[in-house]
Amino acid sequence: MIKRIKVGMASCGIAAGAGEVLELLQEMAGDNKVVEVGCIGHCYAEPLVEVETDSGDYIFEKVQPKEEDLQKIIDLDEFSRFQPHSPRVDKERQLITSLAGKIVPTSLEEYRANKGYEGLKKALEMEPDAIVDEVKTSKLRGRGGGGFPTGLKWSFLAAKDSEQKVLICNADEGDPGAFMDRTLMESLPHQVLEGMLIGAKATGARQLFIYCRAEYPLAVKNLNIAIEQIEKEGLNIIDGEPVKIMVKEGAGAFVCGEETALIHSLEGKRGTPRYRPPYPTDYGFHGYPSAINNVESFANIPLIVRDGGENFAATGTENSTGTKLFALAGDLEYSGLVEVPMGISIGEVVYDIGGAEPGSVKAVQIGGPSGGCIPAEHFDTPIDYDSLTSLGAIMGSGGLIVIGNNRCMVETARYFLEFTTRESCGKCTFCRIGTKRMLETLERITGGEGGPEDVELLADLGKKIIQGSLCGLGQTAPNPVLSTLKYFNNEYLAHVEEGHCAAMECKALVDVFIDRETCIECGQCIKNCPVDCISEDYVIDNEICTRCNSCIEVCPVDAIARVAKGGEVSVGN
Amino acid sequence: MSEIKLTIDGKQITAPRGKTILEVAKENGIEIPTMCHDDRISQTTSCFVCIVREGKNGNWMPSCSAEAQDGMEVDASSDLVRDMRKTALDLLLSEHSGDCEAPCTISCPAHARVEEYVRAGRDGDLRKTLEIAKERIPLPLSIGRVCPRFCEKDCRRNVLDNEGVAINDFKRISADLYYDEYMEERKELTGQKVAIIGSGPGGLATAYFLRLEGVASDIYEKLPEAGGMLRYGIPEYRLPKKVLDKELAHFEKMGGIKIYCNNELGKDIQLDKLKKEYDAVVVAVGSWKASGMRTEGEELARGGIDWLEELALNGWKGEDPGETIVVGGGNTAMDCVRSALRLTDEPVHCMYRRTEKEMPAEQIEIDEAREEGARFNFLTQPIKLRRENGKLVLECLRMELGEPDASGRRRPVPIEGSEFEVAADTVIAAIGQKTLAPKGLPTNKWGDVDVEEADCRAEGNVFAAGDCVSGPATVVEAVAGGRRTALGILAYLKGEECQLPRQINVSRGHWQSMSEDDLVYLFEPDKNKRVPLRLIPLEERTSTFKEVSYTFTEEEILEEGKRCIECSCTAKGDCKLKDFSETYGAHPETFGGEKGNNTYNSRHPHIIMDNGKCVKCGICVKVCSEVVNEYLLGFKNRGFKTKVETAFDTTLPEFCTDCGECIEACPVGALDWKKKKDE
Repeated sequence: MIKRIKVGMASCGIAAGAGEVLELLQEMAGDNKVVEVGCIGHCYAEPLVEVETDSGDYIFEKVQPKEEDLQKIIDLDEFSRFQPHSPRVDKERQLITSLAGKIVPTSLEEYRANKGYEGLKKALEMEPDAIVDEVKTSKLRGRGGGGFPTGLKWSFLAAKDSEQKVLICNADEGDPGAFMDRTLMESLPHQVLEGMLIGAKATGARQLFIYCRAEYPLAVKNLNIAIEQIEKEGLNIIDGEPVKIMVKEGAGAFVCGEETALIHSLEGKRGTPRYRPPYPTDYGFHGYPSAINNVESFANIPLIVRDGGENFAATGTENSTGTKLFALAGDLEYSGLVEVPMGISIGEVVYDIGGAEPGSVKAVQIGGPSGGCIPAEHFDTPIDYDSLTSLGAIMGSGGLIVIGNNRCMVETARYFLEFTTRESCGKCTFCRIGTKRMLETLERITGGEGGPEDVELLADLGKKIIQGSLCGLGQTAPNPVLSTLKYFNNEYLAHVEEGHCAAMECKALVDVFIDRETCIECGQCIKNCPVDCISEDYVIDNEICTRCNSCIEVCPVDAIARVAKGGEVSVGN
Repeated sequence: MSEIKLTIDGKQITAPRGKTILEVAKENGIEIPTMCHDDRISQTTSCFVCIVREGKNGNWMPSCSAEAQDGMEVDASSDLVRDMRKTALDLLLSEHSGDCEAPCTISCPAHARVEEYVRAGRDGDLRKTLEIAKERIPLPLSIGRVCPRFCEKDCRRNVLDNEGVAINDFKRISADLYYDEYMEERKELTGQKVAIIGSGPGGLATAYFLRLEGVASDIYEKLPEAGGMLRYGIPEYRLPKKVLDKELAHFEKMGGIKIYCNNELGKDIQLDKLKKEYDAVVVAVGSWKASGMRTEGEELARGGIDWLEELALNGWKGEDPGETIVVGGGNTAMDCVRSALRLTDEPVHCMYRRTEKEMPAEQIEIDEAREEGARFNFLTQPIKLRRENGKLVLECLRMELGEPDASGRRRPVPIEGSEFEVAADTVIAAIGQKTLAPKGLPTNKWGDVDVEEADCRAEGNVFAAGDCVSGPATVVEAVAGGRRTALGILAYLKGEECQLPRQINVSRGHWQSMSEDDLVYLFEPDKNKRVPLRLIPLEERTSTFKEVSYTFTEEEILEEGKRCIECSCTAKGDCKLKDFSETYGAHPETFGGEKGNNTYNSRHPHIIMDNGKCVKCGICVKVCSEVVNEYLLGFKNRGFKTKVETAFDTTLPEFCTDCGECIEACPVGALDWKKKKDE
C-alpha cells in the first residue's frame, strides 16, 4: 500500500527535469499523495522519485516524464530501481543531511516529527553559557572555509554588553560547483533556522539575518516559508521576546561571502571588505557586535545541542570533528552532494564515493577557486582543516573538483583565477591588478607565448597578492596557481620551454590531425566543421581550425585527434 | 589613557593605545608612504603602498589601518618591505594611463618644458617662454632656427591634422624679441674655474650651466671666431652669423665666461697644463673629420664639412664651384648642396645610394633644396673618381634595395653591369664625420671620447661634452650633453657622486599608434591648421646666403599656440604615484597588460575626471561624502573594471560647488582643475 510518493524537487532535481515528472505523477497518482521533497545528494541519478509504502520505501532514478515509466513506478515495478553503490553507502555518514530529501522541506510538522526543534527546546531551557560550552565541547569549526571554532566566536558575542547584537547566517555560497548550503536551505530550512535560534539564545543576539545569494530563489522561498511558520508557532520567542529573522538577498558578488563585505552589503553599502581588526564581534552590522556563521555550521548546531557536544566530537578527528559536506564534481562517475566524517581520506572520497577510476585522476581541487589542487599521490591525506592547509589547499566551503588526466593544470589554474579576477571587488591594489596580471600571464602561457620569466612572475606575484590583500578573496586567489606550480611545475615548464601541452588542452599548442590510415572517408568531419577547414582529401588546415573538437566528436572511427602543434603522430588507437 | 610600547624600524616607541601604525610612525618622524590615506576620512585601505611587516610573526599589514599594538616590532623599511611597496606601485602604474610629461618634452633631447613655454607664448607672455626655454636651451636664437624639431615630430597634435605644433618657432620669436634684455639669475662666483676646449654648442652649454651655479670658465677656440659648428658648419642662410654673434655676446655678459679664440689644443694650449691650472677641463672639440668616399681617387673630392668651413671662413663668399656633385644624404650633404646652389648657376646634384625615404637629412631640408633646384640621384653609388680633361669623372653603380641592415633601413645592393659615368667640376663627399679625440683620452670603438655615463668624466679632472662624446649629432643634443657634463663637474667639484634623480614617465603612447578617440582634451581643441613658415623669395634663395625663413609674427604665434592640446598631466609635480614610484624604483613597464578604464569626462566647465589615471583609492568618494557632505561620487563595477563615477555617468551635477576638496585630496591627476597652473 503506497503511503505517498516523493519527488526530489531541489534545484538539482528541477534542472534534471523533475518538474515535469512531478506534474505527470500528480495527474496519474489518483488518491496517492505526491509531495515535493529536497535532495538526497545523489545528483547524478536525478530525477529521483521515492515511493513510501507500508512495506518499505522504494527509490527510482533517472525518472523520465513518460506515462509508461511512471506507471511502472506506481506499480512498484523493479524498473529503474535506485541502489546507491555500496562503497558510498559504507563511507558516507549522514548526520546533518539525514533528513534531506526525506521530508517535505516546508513542513514544520514533518521536521518536528523527526526530532526537529528538540535542540532548540533544550537550548531554551539552558543558560546561554552552557550552550556556548556545549558548542565548544563539540569542537565545531566554521564550515564556511576558515575553520574558526564556532563556540569561541559565540563566546565573544555572548560576552558583549550591547543594546543590540546581531547573528548572521552566511548563505552567499559562491564557489563555482559548490552547492552544500543551497541543498541545506532548500531541503532543510528549518534545521538551519533552528541552529540560528539556538545561536540567538546562546549569544543574546536578537536580530538575525540570512544573507543568501539571489541566485538561490528556491532556498529563499523555502526559508521565508519556514520563517513564517515558526513565527506563527512562536518558535522564535526567546526569553519572552520574539527574535526577528530576515532573509536578505545578495546581488551576486562573490566577495560578499567575506564577512566584512557581507556586512557592508547588508548595510546597503558597496560590498567591499575592510581591515580586521576590529572583528565583527566587536564592530559589526551598523557597529553592533555581530557574529557570522555559515549555513552548514548552523545546520550542525541542533544536533550538537540535542545529542551533546561530546557525542558530536566522537565523529571525525581530534581537531576536526563532525562531518563535512562536499559537492563532488568534475571527472568522476557519481557527482553530487556527500556528507563524510572528517578524517576520511581524499582517495576514499574520490575513488570510493565519487567512483573515479584509479589512475585516471591527476588531482583534486579542494576549496573552490580559493583552494588549491592536491595531486593524486597525496590522496591518502585525511580531510581535516590542518592536513589540507599543510598541502597548500584549504577545506573551503566544500567544493571538490576531480581533475582527470586529460586536463591541463595550467589551464585549470587559469580557469579558477579567471573567476577570482572577475570577482575581486577592486579595492586592494594587489588583488585588483595583481590577479589580472597573473591571469594575463597564464593566458600567455596557455596561448603559447609564455617564457620561463612568466613562471617566475606567477610565483612572486602570487605570494605578494596573498600578503597584500585585505580579505580572503585576495588572500586565497593565487592558491590554484601556486599549488599547481608546486605540484605540476613540469607542466608549466613544458608549456613555456617546449610549447607543449601534454593534455592537448591548450588550443594554441595543438593541431588537429586526421589519420588517413584509419579514416574511412565518411565525410562527417567535413560536414560538421563550422569553419570549413577540412579539405576534400581529408586534410585539416590548422591555420583556420578553431580546435572546436566537432570533427573529433563526430568521427565514427576515432581517426581524428589533437596532436602537439606541428606534430603528425598516428592516432586512432 | 593606557600606553603601549613597540618598535618601528628598531626604534623604541611609546605611544597611546588606539592609534594606527601610520600615525605612530608619523608622530615619531618615520616616513611611511601612503596614497589612499587622508586624516579627514574613514580608512579606505586600498593602495597598500603603506604596507609594513610585523617582524615577529611575519604578518603584513596596511599601516594606515592596522592599530599599533603593544610589543609589535614593525618593519617599515627593509628591502623586503620596499620590494612589496615597489610591486604595489608597479601594479598601480601598470593600469595607469596618462602622460606624466607631454611627448614634446620627452622627445626633446634637452627635455625643455615645452608645453609650458608654448602655453606662456599662447597666453601672450613670450618673455616667460624664453625664460622657460632657457632653463634647458641656452642657445635659443640658434636652436630656434636650426633644430630638427624632435618635439614636433612626436607632438600629439599630429593625430588631429598630421602636423605638430610649430614649437620651435616659439623659441625663435621669444629669443628674437627678448634675448637681449633677458638675463637669468646666476649664483655668485665661487672662485672655481673650468677650462673648456671648443666653443661649439657643447662647450657653450657646459659653460652656461656651470655659470648658473657660480662656476666660471675659460673657453679655448682654435678657429678665429667662436661658435664651432654653429659658425663653421651651419650655413649662413640657416643661421645668420649676426644672430650667432648676438647669442654669444650674452655669454660674456653673464660674467665669468671668457672665450679665447685662435687657441688650438696641442699647439697653443696643452691638456696637461690645463688640467693643473683649472679645477676641471672639458673637451668639447666636436666631430670635424670628414669621412672619405672609400673609393679610388677619393682625394680628388672635397670633404663636406671642410668645404663648408672654408666657405664660412670666407664670409660665405666662395668661388663658383661649377657643376657640383654632393655625395651623401645627411644634413651636411643638404647644407653643401644648398650652399653650392647659391654659388653657381650650373646644376648641383645630390647622389645617394638609397632612396629619399632612407635619407637621414631632415625632410624640410630636402624639400627646400629641391625647391632651390637641387637634382637628386638616388640609388647611386660612386665607385671611382678621376680627373679627365679638367673635369672630374665619377664612375658610379646603380643600386637596388635589399634586406634591411642593422639600422633597419634596407641595404643598397649593386645592380650588376649598371656602371655609368658622370662628369662634374666639383665633387663634395658629405658622407659623415668623425671625432678626432685629443691624444691621451680614452676613446670608444667609434673614436669618440669615452666618458663615464653618470658624470661625463673621461679621466682625472677631464670631462667631455658634445659631438666628441656622442659622435656627430644635433645642436640640441650637444646642449643637452653640455648640461649633463656641467652637472657631472658640479658634483665632482663638491666631491660628490653625480646622481641624476630617477624619473619615470607614463605615456599614452606615440601619436602614430593613436586615434582621435585616444586623446584626452582639457578643452575642445582649436581646429586651425599649422601656421606655415614664411620664406624669402626663391630667387634670393638661389643667389644669396640671406636667411631663408622669417620669424613668426606675434599674431601668428598666438594662433599657433591654440593648437597645443596640453597633453601632459594636470597633476605634474603633484603626483604621489610618480613620486613614490621614483623613490621605490617602480616602473610603468614592469607589468605589461591591459590598462583598464581609459574613459574621461571633461563636460564640467572647470573639472576633468580622468579614469585612466585613477588609482581607485576612493579618497574622493569619501571626501565628498564624509567631509563635504555631498554624495556626488561613487564606485562602479568590480575588480579590474572598478571605476569612480558620478551618478549615471553624468557630468558633475549643478549642486557640485566646485569646492575642489576631491581635487586637493586626489593623489594623482584623476580629478583635477582643467586650467593648468604653472609652477
